[in-house]
Order: sequence, then C-alpha cells, then structure tokens
Amino acid sequence: MTATQQRSFLARYSVLFSLVVFVAAALLLPWVGAGPISLSRVLQHQAPDYEILLQLRVSRTLLALVAGGALSLAGTLFQAMLRDALATPYTLGISAGASLGAVAVIAVGWETFFGIPVTWIGALAGAFGVLILVIGGAFRQRQISAFSLLLTGIAINSICAAFILIVGGTVGIARSFSITRWLIGSIDATSYTSLAALAVIVFLASGLILLQARSWNLLAVGERWAASRGVRVGSLLAQGYILGSILVAGAIALTGPIGFVGLIVPHLVRSRISPDHRLLMPCSFLLGGTLLALCDALGRIIMPPSELPAGAVLALIGGPYLVWVIRQRTPVEEI
Amino acid sequence: MSSLLEVDGVSFSYGSRSVLDSVSFHAEEGEFLALLGINGSGKSTLLDIISGFRIPETGTVSLGGRSQKQWKRREIAQQISHLPQAIHADLPFTAEQLVGMGRYPHTDRWYESDEDHKYIHAAMERTSCWPHRHRAFRSLSGGERQRVLLAACLAQDANTLLLDEPSTFLDIEQQLHCFSILRDEARAGKLCIAATHDLNLALTHCTRLLVLAGGVIAHDLRTEEAHDNKEWLSLFSRRLDMGKTPAGSPWVWYQ
Repeated sequence: MTATQQRSFLARYSVLFSLVVFVAAALLLPWVGAGPISLSRVLQHQAPDYEILLQLRVSRTLLALVAGGALSLAGTLFQAMLRDALATPYTLGISAGASLGAVAVIAVGWETFFGIPVTWIGALAGAFGVLILVIGGAFRQRQISAFSLLLTGIAINSICAAFILIVGGTVGIARSFSITRWLIGSIDATSYTSLAALAVIVFLASGLILLQARSWNLLAVGERWAASRGVRVGSLLAQGYILGSILVAGAIALTGPIGFVGLIVPHLVRSRISPDHRLLMPCSFLLGGTLLALCDALGRIIMPPSELPAGAVLALIGGPYLVWVIRQRTPVEEI
Repeated sequence: MSSLLEVDGVSFSYGSRSVLDSVSFHAEEGEFLALLGINGSGKSTLLDIISGFRIPETGTVSLGGRSQKQWKRREIAQQISHLPQAIHADLPFTAEQLVGMGRYPHTDRWYESDEDHKYIHAAMERTSCWPHRHRAFRSLSGGERQRVLLAACLAQDANTLLLDEPSTFLDIEQQLHCFSILRDEARAGKLCIAATHDLNLALTHCTRLLVLAGGVIAHDLRTEEAHDNKEWLSLFSRRLDMGKTPAGSPWVWYQ
C-alpha cells in the first residue's frame, strides 16, 4: 500500500476504529485497578468485588470516557474557530471561570448541597458567569471575530488566575491543598445520576457541533473564506462558543481542569487520520475519551495503594509523545 | 433592464480614514473588469463589499436587480465567489479538500456528490493543480497555492468571480494562464473582476478598466479607449508610458 492509499483506508475506517476502541475501553478498563476483581464473584453479586466494579470502577471509567471526549471535541472546535493550533478547551476562559467557582466554594468550606458536591455547582456557576460576561462583551459589537474572542479569553484567564491565587493564599493549609488537588484534575467515582446528566448534555452539544462539521472546515481556513462560501460567520462563532463552553463546563465540573487532552488528541487525529472535521471531530471525541480513561486506569495501578490523578498521567505520557510527533512532522510526511 | 452587478454610491471608511467615497459602476455578464489603483486605494475593500463581507456605510450593491441586503449569505455565495488576497498558509487540508469547499453553498449533503467531484476535478485540471490534489496545502509552493485557490473559486461555479490579485506569486507563464482562464470565463458569460497591479495583463486580457483613486472611480474605460487616453497612467507613476508591441497589442513600460 502506498502512503496515500494507506491514508484513505485509515480515513474511511477511522470512525469505526475509534468507536471499537472506545467501546473496548468501556468494557475492559473497569477491571484494571489496585485490587484484582474476580469475574465469578461479580457474576454472583458478591461483596466487595461487585460493589467495587459497579459503584467505583465503572462509573469512573464512564466519566473519563465522556469527559475526555467532551474536552477533546471542545479542543478541536476551538482550534477550528481560532485557527490556532495552540487553542485548548481552556483558551477561551471558560475553565478559568469554572476553576475560580470551584476554588471559591472549597475556600468557604462547603462540602455538599443536597448530596451534590458543591465544587460542581461552583464550577458550573463560574463557567456560566464567564459565558454571560463574554457574550455580553465580545458579542455586543455586531461583527465579532475569533481574534476578539481569543483576547477576551486570555484576559479572563489572567483575571481568574489572580483571584485563585488570592483565594488560595487566604485559606488554611488543608483547604489550600484541596484547591491544588482540584486544580490538577482527576477522575473520581461519581453517582450515576450526575453521570447520566453529563452524558445527556454532552451528547446533545456534541451532536449539534458535529452537524456543522462542514462549516467548521471552512471556518478553519478563514473567516472571509467561510463567509464568501455562504457561512454566517458571526452566528457560527457564537454557536461554537456556547456549545463548546457547555461541553467544557460540564466536563470539568466533574473532573477538574484536565485541559491537555483537548490539545493533544485533536493534533494526533489531525496528523494521523484527517484534518477534515467530518472525521476529525467524531474521532477526537472517541479517542479523547479512550485516552483519558486509559490514563485514569494507569493512574490506579502505577503506585498502589495511592492513586495518581489522570491529569498528571496524561501530562507525563502525552507530553513527551506530542513532542515526538511534532519532531516527526517533516515536510515529506505531509505530502 | 438592470445589470448583473450594480454598485451605486458606495462609501466605506475604516474608523476616521475614508477609503471609498461614493463609488458607482455597473457591470454585465461577459465582462472582465480590471480593478486598478495604487496600494491602499480601496480595491480589496470594494471587492469585500461586493462579496457581502463588509457592509458599506452608504450606497447599495445590487445583484441581478435585487439589493444585496435581501439575499441570504448562502444565496450570495452561489452567485459570487471571491479569491482572497492572502490566506493562512499553514493549513492541514489537502488541495482537493480546499477546492471541495467551493461546493459548500450548493449542497447540504454530508459528503460531496459525484457531480460535485466533477466540478472539483474540472476546476483543478483547468488550473493545472490536479496532480497536487493529495498534497497538504502548507506543503505547496506559493504559486501552487494560488492555483489551488483559483480552482476553489472556479469550483464554486458562481456567475460573478471576484479576484483579489489572482496573479500574485505566479510565474509569468502561470500569470498568463490565470488571466486566460478568467478571460475564457467571461467569454462564457460570467462576470470577472480582478484587482491587479499588472497593467499589461489588464490591458491584454480585460475588457474594461476601473481605476480607483481618491476614493472614487477616477477612470472607467473600455480597454480599447485606454490605449488612446494615457491620462489614467499618470495615477500610477509619472514614469509610465504606453506603446505597442510588434504584434500591435498595447504595452506599458517605464523609464
């Protein structure tokens, strides 16, 4: 097979391949962990294996799959909107708002509210606070541009980072540690109710984003390019911003900021499979979810009994891999 | 009877800097207009306004007798294609994917149909970039990129083509090829408007010259008239003069 044939073969089956990997991760990764789980005990509903698998491992794996997928898709989306290879789900300031919200409630010391961890509520409130601020600010002028969105995002990131430092400095050492821990980002077992809520939101927002895949292709080339081919650029940017923010806010309310997955996965899929958003977006979602679930599973077994947060595992494995991929990127390979 | 394109009293300014101050002209099918003028004279701005990308402060643009404001974005894209002056070069898309984007306003299908592929293939053959179709845009040379962009415009199959310096980065053979393609498009009944700095290409290929200066159309000449009236040349440089080649076509040269 020539390189071109190989590439078109890969492109044709890439979504199917990604789906298989995604489902395989959902089925297999819950069995990975510090303690072995026996299949026969699970089938007989025997404690503790049955509870560990269903209450802890499965919900955790599913959360990683959904959150990783949402963050990777949001990264792909923002890279297309901003035409910036360095854009992550966090470039536009949404995660900074979410982090500030979560950090604020940790600092105050609230733990749960009607059984829901208050960090979730704080993160969602912070994210939507930013969303409303940006929409009020950047979208008020009639012609919004990717550039103004980007600058607004950078400003919001710095402001929120400053507030997080201030809050972190005024609380005691224990809460300060909780804040740091939350900011690394990790996957924890979660209730199936909140998981289902997240899955529904992510499914709807992702579906709406995917339906516009052809338009994202045009926007990734340029705003004028898209406009002169019939895209309503302002309205598309607004939709992308809102839908992307919903994905990011939903995911990191449950996991904390794990932004790297949204940078690395779109890059790998773009260079290995296709830059066409009709393939790039579904593959990024499926492979991003898989990658985060895999990192979380690795974090459980690297140094038992303590666990390494998925965000840290991802950075340790993904960082060097991304550097290696970029070094491989020769002009010849791109032909 | 209204013209295909009517620009009436169009003004535009960037902040306090006025660029266009009541520009008016009409154009018909079959014309190939050269839009001339020194740097900053508003050629690109005027093309942006005609393509609907910028909204004029005053004045109107009508397509086929109907004000541009009444057209939807997509309807405009079916009738007007625009070749931008500069494009972000570090694109991961292949040449064929970029040209395929020209079919966007014509279909709601998820993937391009066989008919779309015929347009894509034909456009890429015409600009001789079909052999590069699987290459990434960023790996192409400047001239190859420009030909891919021209193919994307042709694949859009609009009846009006706006081209912002289409011959930039092209070698001389390719410049001639590019302007011949546009001349053929006009002869086939389309309207082509090309902003260019190459006066000789304009004189030898276009049917009409529009010279922008001081925010207005200072000269609106049929190409044959431009041979006799050399006044418009002095807007570019006093060192310019026009003669004839041995073959009898006009030739602008500088001292």
